Amino acid sequence: MRSWITFLLPEDEYKERKMLFFFAESGVLLFAVLAILLVTNSYFTFDAGTVLLLGVALFLFYITTRYMFAGIEYTDVVTEKAYRKERKVTFLRSLSFLGIFVVLYAIFLGIPSDRGEWMDVIGISMITAIIMFVTTYISLKRSYKKNKELL
Amino acid sequence: MKNNVKISRMKLSISQQHLARKVGVARQTIGLIEKGRYNPSLKLCIAIAKELDATLDDLFWEEEEE
Repeated sequence: MRSWITFLLPEDEYKERKMLFFFAESGVLLFAVLAILLVTNSYFTFDAGTVLLLGVALFLFYITTRYMFAGIEYTDVVTEKAYRKERKVTFLRSLSFLGIFVVLYAIFLGIPSDRGEWMDVIGISMITAIIMFVTTYISLKRSYKKNKELL
Repeated sequence: MKNNVKISRMKLSISQQHLARKVGVARQTIGLIEKGRYNPSLKLCIAIAKELDATLDDLFWEEEEE
């Protein structure tokens, strides 16, 4: 089957089908939320920016969460050794992100001048790196568990 | 869906990883098919059958017990 959405889908047919379900579920959920907002529009007033941000965030959050818990990201991690190796890579990748973020911030927005600005930069990058690590770790753990069951 | 993919694969001493690579899917997909937790497309069924030197009947047809 040909569709313009193909470029967003993985090669593997099981993963492709799962992703199509996630996209579809998220689309239906988004439709329901927008319909509710439309009906309640006369009772509550939301500005357009909030509604648009809510819609985009909901759509992306749903797909990402479903993908993370589906255990379909690391399809080849079956052994304890491979799992540990991948976990180490995940940790190092998150750490690298932290460093790169701080460096890029300093290059494009200037070196923070006081303690407060430093705290802001490090705080944001730390939180992002932690979220990045936790989400990838959950995905890895779920994939490993699922793969072991399928041996 | 019950099938004989695992039995046929083991008879030929082929790993899940090897079969997956040959038919162009992930190892996890082969595992799911073997466990009956995913029904593959006809295209993938044929690719697996060819790789295992078996027919679709051998791999996917359920014999009804009388």
